[in-house]
Amino acid sequence: MFWIAEGLIYRRQDSVFHTIDPRIKLLISMMLFFLSLVSSTIVEFSIILVLIFFIGALSKTLKRMVRTFVFSLSFLAMIFVINILVGYDIMFSIIISLRFISVVSSTSIFFLTSSPDELELVMKSFYLPYDLIFAFVTAVRFVPVIMLDAIQILDSQRSRGLEIEKGNFIKRIKNYIPVLIPLIVQAIIRSEELAEAMESRAYGFSKKKTSYYSLHLRKRDYFAATVAICFMIVFIYAIYFLHI
Amino acid sequence: MTPLIKFIDFNFSYLDSPTPILKNINLEIKEGEFVLLVGPSGCGKSTLLRCINGLIPHLYSGVYKGKVIVDGEQVSEKNISTLATKVGFVFQNPENQIFMFTVEKDIVFGLENIGVDKEEIGRRLEWALKILNIEHLRYRAPYELSDGQKQRVAIAGTLVMHPKILILDEPTSLLDPKTAYEFISTLKELNRSIGITIIVVEHRIDLLPKVADRMIVMDGGQIVFDGPFKDIIKEKNLHLYGVTVPPIISLQNTLSESGVNLPGYSLDVRSFSEMIKKEVFRND
Ligand SMILES: Nc1ncnc2c1ncn2[C@@H]1O[C@H](COP(=O)(O)OP(=O)(O)OP(=O)(O)O)[C@@H](O)[C@H]1O
Ligand SMILES: [Mg+2]
Repeated sequence: MFWIAEGLIYRRQDSVFHTIDPRIKLLISMMLFFLSLVSSTIVEFSIILVLIFFIGALSKTLKRMVRTFVFSLSFLAMIFVINILVGYDIMFSIIISLRFISVVSSTSIFFLTSSPDELELVMKSFYLPYDLIFAFVTAVRFVPVIMLDAIQILDSQRSRGLEIEKGNFIKRIKNYIPVLIPLIVQAIIRSEELAEAMESRAYGFSKKKTSYYSLHLRKRDYFAATVAICFMIVFIYAIYFLHI
Repeated sequence: MTPLIKFIDFNFSYLDSPTPILKNINLEIKEGEFVLLVGPSGCGKSTLLRCINGLIPHLYSGVYKGKVIVDGEQVSEKNISTLATKVGFVFQNPENQIFMFTVEKDIVFGLENIGVDKEEIGRRLEWALKILNIEHLRYRAPYELSDGQKQRVAIAGTLVMHPKILILDEPTSLLDPKTAYEFISTLKELNRSIGITIIVVEHRIDLLPKVADRMIVMDGGQIVFDGPFKDIIKEKNLHLYGVTVPPIISLQNTLSESGVNLPGYSLDVRSFSEMIKKEVFRND
């Protein structure tokens, strides 16, 4: 299952695209998302998909993007079959499927190329409340930690004779209880320790909080944004006025 | 000189504890001291430390009697965030005190909270990275660090606040002996170079003979021994309080009990063997 998630998880990588301001990356991603929703012909979707793959190549994330793609194919097959069964014509089913693919892959552009770090900065630049941002940061920060906890607990319960894979469906779900309970207890202990440590480092100090990091748009960001916006205008113009 | 930390007739129990956890504590710690705090599990060491940085009574409430004064001010009347600029607290599990995605971001966390301006944050960040020797870890994520490195990052995150006091609650319990030794040496370096007062709870006393100035032994919520390290470590009954006395010290204790008069007292193997060598050659 993990290899699917690969298509949505950030990995450190050097590419021109990675160095673009995360707000612009978000803009590009959202723009492609929006265009996928308004497109309705095979030509339009081809243009969008080519563009998405171009960005994938530019950011060296094409391989992982293809994974999301392959993953969505299984869904696609389902959508396609259901559509046909319900009685829509083939053309309509193809369009729906293409839309699904471009929506998923346009979203993955942002997540593949922006670190959680950048995501935090984007949230900050939207002036979201700091408590919310901090909650997001710690949640993401502790994902690998809690995953490791889970693996350790699973191993130790296995060594005591727990057989996770045994039994029917209901039994298998029940098998996870001896893993979940210690995991939850451990998470609670962690959160208490976290609270102590936060307090000890002046979290929520009354005076105005400063920020050591902030986002600054550079030339290349303006350039990327301009290209993206021009593209969107031309594309929409082409759809609605030239009827391509 | 007025003491930096002062407990006056202090008693405390948590809301849900039936008996008092700290009983009749009177304690003074001077600026620049390196204090080792020991005692059996559950005797109240962590509780005592929490009273110094204000986690008690501000985060953990309970029955609070007497006074705790830190740097001239009563802890109960200051909030924890203000105290955070005076007292740095490093916990046992380094994992749970690093919140941010990178080392650098985590180190500046406290400074952002208290509203230090950008340039000053930059300066203090560089200083802390340098003094703890973690410049190369600067852009790493927490999961790319070893436990020893995490513990250093945790210290850096508290040192940037320029606290007068650094408290460490069993900081080496997850470290291997070599890393633990290096870690304690770093603490001593800090104590010497910036004169920061250090209070450390540590079970591996063999790491500390040349480091700690003072040793406080607690049992059942009370202070049972308190004095210069080299005097307290000679006490006969230390093992009753869960203290593992380093073998070289037990050896000297046993020798003097059995009537051997040693010319001095050594805290480590090297100086002990020097001493014995002199003694043996003199007898020749
Ligand atoms: N948050 C709490 N609420 C209630 N009781 C607590 C709390 N924390 C600790 N205690 C109790 O206070 C007593 C002293 O605990 P404390 O953690 O101070 O001991 P300690 O000397 O640090 O032990 P250890 O060496 O195991 O860390 C224990 O009996 C413990 O059960
Ligand atoms: Mg403790």
